[in-house]
Amino acid sequence: MSTMKTTRDVRGVGLSIPRPDGPEKVTGRVQYVADMTSRGLLHAKLLRSRHAHARIVGIDTTRAKALPGVRAVLTARDIPELKHKAPTRAHAVLAIDRVVFAGQPVAAVAADEAAIAEEALDLIEVQYEVLPAAVDPLKSMQPGAPPVAELGTEADTSEALAHSAVAMAKGEAAPAKAVNISQTAAVKRGDVAKGFAESDLVLEHTYRVPMVHQGYLEPHAVLAEWDRAGNLTLWASTQGSFNTRSEVADVLGIEENRIKVIPVECGGGFGGKIRALCEPITALLARATKRPVRYVMTRREELEAGMPAPQVIIRLKTGVKRDGALMALEAETVLESGAFSGTVLAVSAVFLGSLYRWPAFDIKGSEVLTHKPSVAAYRAPVAPQTIFAIDSHMESLARALALDPVEFRRRHLQKPGEPMVNNQPWASNGAHEVLTRIAEHPLWKEREAWKKSSGNGHGLRGTGLALGGWLGGLQPTSATVKLNPDGTLAVLTGQVDIAGTNIALAQIAATAYGLDIDKVKITTGDTDVAPLTGLSAGSKTIYTVGTAVLQAAQNARQQTLEIAAKELEASVQDLEIVDGKVIVRGVPDKGVTLASIGKKGNLYMSKVEPVLGVAHPAFSQQAPAFAAQLARIEVDPDTGQTTLHDFVVVQDAGHAINPLGVEGQMQGGAVQSLGIALTEALMYDDSGRLMNPSLLDYRTLTAADLPDIETIIVEVPSPSGPYGARGVGEPPIVPAPAALANAIHDATGVRLTEVPLTPERIALAIAAKG
Amino acid sequence: MILPGSVKECVQALAEHGAAAKLVAGGTDLLPQLKNHLLKPGVVVDLSGVATLKKLTADKGLRIGAAVTARELERDGRLATGAYRGLAESGALVGSVQVRHLATVGGNICNAAPSADMIPPLLALDAEAVIAGPRGERRVPLRDFITGVRTTVLGADELLVELSVPDPGPHSGGAYLRHTPRRELDIAVVGVGSQVTLANGVCTKARIALAAVAPTPVHARAAERALEGQALTPQRIEEAAKLAVEAARPISDQRGSVEFRRHLVRVLTRRTLTTALARANGGQA
Amino acid sequence: MNVRKQAMTLTLNDELVEVLVKPYETLLDTLRETLGLTGPKEGCGTGDCGACTVHLDGKAVASCLVLALQARNRQVRTIEGLGTDDTLHPLQDAFVRHGVPQCGFCIPGVLMAAAALLAETPRPSDEEIRYGIAGNLCRCTGYTKMVTAIAEAAAAVPQGAR
Repeated sequence: MSTMKTTRDVRGVGLSIPRPDGPEKVTGRVQYVADMTSRGLLHAKLLRSRHAHARIVGIDTTRAKALPGVRAVLTARDIPELKHKAPTRAHAVLAIDRVVFAGQPVAAVAADEAAIAEEALDLIEVQYEVLPAAVDPLKSMQPGAPPVAELGTEADTSEALAHSAVAMAKGEAAPAKAVNISQTAAVKRGDVAKGFAESDLVLEHTYRVPMVHQGYLEPHAVLAEWDRAGNLTLWASTQGSFNTRSEVADVLGIEENRIKVIPVECGGGFGGKIRALCEPITALLARATKRPVRYVMTRREELEAGMPAPQVIIRLKTGVKRDGALMALEAETVLESGAFSGTVLAVSAVFLGSLYRWPAFDIKGSEVLTHKPSVAAYRAPVAPQTIFAIDSHMESLARALALDPVEFRRRHLQKPGEPMVNNQPWASNGAHEVLTRIAEHPLWKEREAWKKSSGNGHGLRGTGLALGGWLGGLQPTSATVKLNPDGTLAVLTGQVDIAGTNIALAQIAATAYGLDIDKVKITTGDTDVAPLTGLSAGSKTIYTVGTAVLQAAQNARQQTLEIAAKELEASVQDLEIVDGKVIVRGVPDKGVTLASIGKKGNLYMSKVEPVLGVAHPAFSQQAPAFAAQLARIEVDPDTGQTTLHDFVVVQDAGHAINPLGVEGQMQGGAVQSLGIALTEALMYDDSGRLMNPSLLDYRTLTAADLPDIETIIVEVPSPSGPYGARGVGEPPIVPAPAALANAIHDATGVRLTEVPLTPERIALAIAAKG
Repeated sequence: MILPGSVKECVQALAEHGAAAKLVAGGTDLLPQLKNHLLKPGVVVDLSGVATLKKLTADKGLRIGAAVTARELERDGRLATGAYRGLAESGALVGSVQVRHLATVGGNICNAAPSADMIPPLLALDAEAVIAGPRGERRVPLRDFITGVRTTVLGADELLVELSVPDPGPHSGGAYLRHTPRRELDIAVVGVGSQVTLANGVCTKARIALAAVAPTPVHARAAERALEGQALTPQRIEEAAKLAVEAARPISDQRGSVEFRRHLVRVLTRRTLTTALARANGGQA
Repeated sequence: MNVRKQAMTLTLNDELVEVLVKPYETLLDTLRETLGLTGPKEGCGTGDCGACTVHLDGKAVASCLVLALQARNRQVRTIEGLGTDDTLHPLQDAFVRHGVPQCGFCIPGVLMAAAALLAETPRPSDEEIRYGIAGNLCRCTGYTKMVTAIAEAAAAVPQGAR
């Protein structure tokens, strides 16, 4: 282990420390929801619509209810809480009289065994009147398309709030008859028409990224149980237990105090486990049966009826001068939200209009509903899709003008302080630094030699890079730090630890308080015991919860020193904590141990207050974080198969609190990004049914498809993050679609504007070029 | 669930339960169907206890028990040489290692998916299916065994016990290639198995079998005929690859379009023939 | 659903076990629901993710594709039987030190696939490692640290050891 430490601070911050729950994870002892049971446990299954759009004429559950072992069969009629015009998927617990996507639940069963519940589903008879479905978002946004939402349903903007604090003006109202446009946004600066008129080169492409699934390995799961007093406990696989509590309380119409959400080990979320999905129906089944009920989604249900990322279609038109001066940009973004509203329009506008310095721009965005599963966040929502468009475009412009592609980007890349599309200034960030760093990489410098080595038994070789990032999420949060009677420290938050953030938070606490990391314990509490804590999402755990832990630890340290100051008859400024002891600086033998201070806080008749550091910050300053990625590839021109030889991620982490964890984020994010680039797509037929509802046909990348992912951490400290840290989760999922499109262009001369960059698309494009 | 210990007991079980019975060997195709409620058999007959079905004999040709696994084809040293190499290659491409330890040759054939990997090389080797039933044993050329998408000549009271491969002779080489977007854990967009046998520098027999481009795996007959009696030059191989496309009647689905599949037939036929030729000549390609 | 259960014995993590199973129950369900070994996970139920990987007679198999009855009289090893209670298997130890687990859901399956690989190929190349765990989908790690950890563990395991 010693070989992995890069000693910068003995207290913890900056050290590569493996997560302490590693042994539990590698021995299979960690319990996920599906591994848990409860006395009298029932198993739930949902009957889901096969049709994307249909009226429910009737449901007959008689035969299912009669099946031995079945304890409850629910339809919308049995749930008085259900209302029309459901604003979110969570509220649409079961379809009332119309299904709006294939996979939407219409009935629910709880039974003694999962197999019995499944048998019961086959005995439920649903009569549908199939209606025409809106499947293609570009058609769905036209007047006359089959309507998705009920008239008067409110757009859901909570996702935008959770993920980025960038405010944007609402766009013009959609044409009255375009019933499926649920939100619009628009932003404009300068004279675009004049800019295009004065341009030497005008380039226009339409970029498309299909719906993709977060692909977490653990399907959604929840266990629900009510007590006699009407209090609900939920053991949930969630990215935010307080969020889950709020949503379930809202759907069920009960007070949050009546619900306890226990965040169980979460087998991956990536944005897909932020919003409530199957928690309400499981709670309702438990209420109806007065028994604990567990519901675990199947993989097929996950793919057909999870909450994937939206399809994003961006028409992008730009004008530039022959010398590379940027003149004007015009863009129209369509976000396909599926059957319910809930996407983020602002991120797309910021990166399209203000990552680079466009003097004039006109950007419009629409959220469009279709008869498909409604979407949710997926790691840096809408950023990979937007960067695919703008970075591919910048590369094409540079090549068309015969300019160095990195120089061209660097020349126009906005600097901190320059205005974003909404006129707020860019916060401090390391975009320039990561771009500069990746251009220094040998693989970039040797790109001509690599390209020249094409042929002679090799395929077509090329190199590509791209720059992308994330604006940084914000959410108020809180933490407590208490000194134990034995002088150890206990940190409490409600933070769901998926990727290993708790060890980094403990490192922050250790450093801030002045104690070794092995004396710090960190606990993720449930919603009854933990202070309010935000989501594990939006690359904001370390940035926001880390700040709360830092402040709470500083607060606890201050209290500790004040107690010691009295005892030592010294002033607080003259004290320091060394080796578990508060001492007067320079007088190591004059001190009082943390254990004695801790003990006095818990002693009968003691007058010493217990040390309890508390912090509950709110935030207004984002910390944007950028990553640049480089791909060295080889394309088989006959089959279109792309082989990844090397892949490099350079990322600004601000200050890497735990480099081991940061590398893990960079590598994992990069491979998800590569999945979007190369193989992943949810594919729907004309009737709105998913054609690839398995992990065999929904292709996330395997180890055999990939090289080692090289990571280079750049540190441009954030003025506002704990020890200068920035969020690290989202940036690495952003650049690869553009980097791969650029590399394939370099290798083959073919420019593809739709991902995934499949062998079929590549081979047929090469064949068409001749 | 019935657990027979011999082929005879299997046949008895089938005679008793008829069409209600479903045979399971590796389970890799059956269990997902059970899982997704696509299949509700009255009774399952488990073949995993029948030792004779698991035998692979190499003696003037091959006798491959129906329950030989894909992994065994992949790793059997006797298949590592030129003539049978295509068969080993097809075994190595099925699913993932966790699946290959279970998936059987017989299961792959009886499941009769158009994309079945282990069928093209067996077709290219002119394999025969050995079938056991209440009236004894019968033999059917593999090319006649599969009658459509997921349908075969097997009666409800019969089971496939063995694939019999005739001796391809001393100068024969085989190769199997498929195209998939991923390297493992995938299903063929197109698969091509080629086998060429040489005498005095001339091709005496050529077989080209295509998967995932028609309701059943098919032979590219015109392409085969164009090669037989000829010296196999790159030009002739390219001609044959073009002719092979004519045998393909692909559909467009989530795995590939008609256009791409036709394109791949040509590419993979050229590549497998080139490799098979090198192997027939004793090359280690 | 009142199907008759059948009794069978198997050797599970070196101990002889007798268990009642339903005819169409998967080995994975028997391990998880009846025998309480929840280390093997169900990520897909169709053999496409590897989270349920166990050893059947020493070979890595997708336990969601095996009928429980097919394991009768055979050797089954799960992640619970990879290391001992006191000592981690070198693979487990390397995974912890390299910080491989993030969400952790795929990890038991990956470790079982890796252990089977090392039993067959004690000194695998990086490419052999990558193919050896290609049947195991991981969504968190990008596999890089996994490959490093497996290579390191292979170098640490004496030849011939499990």
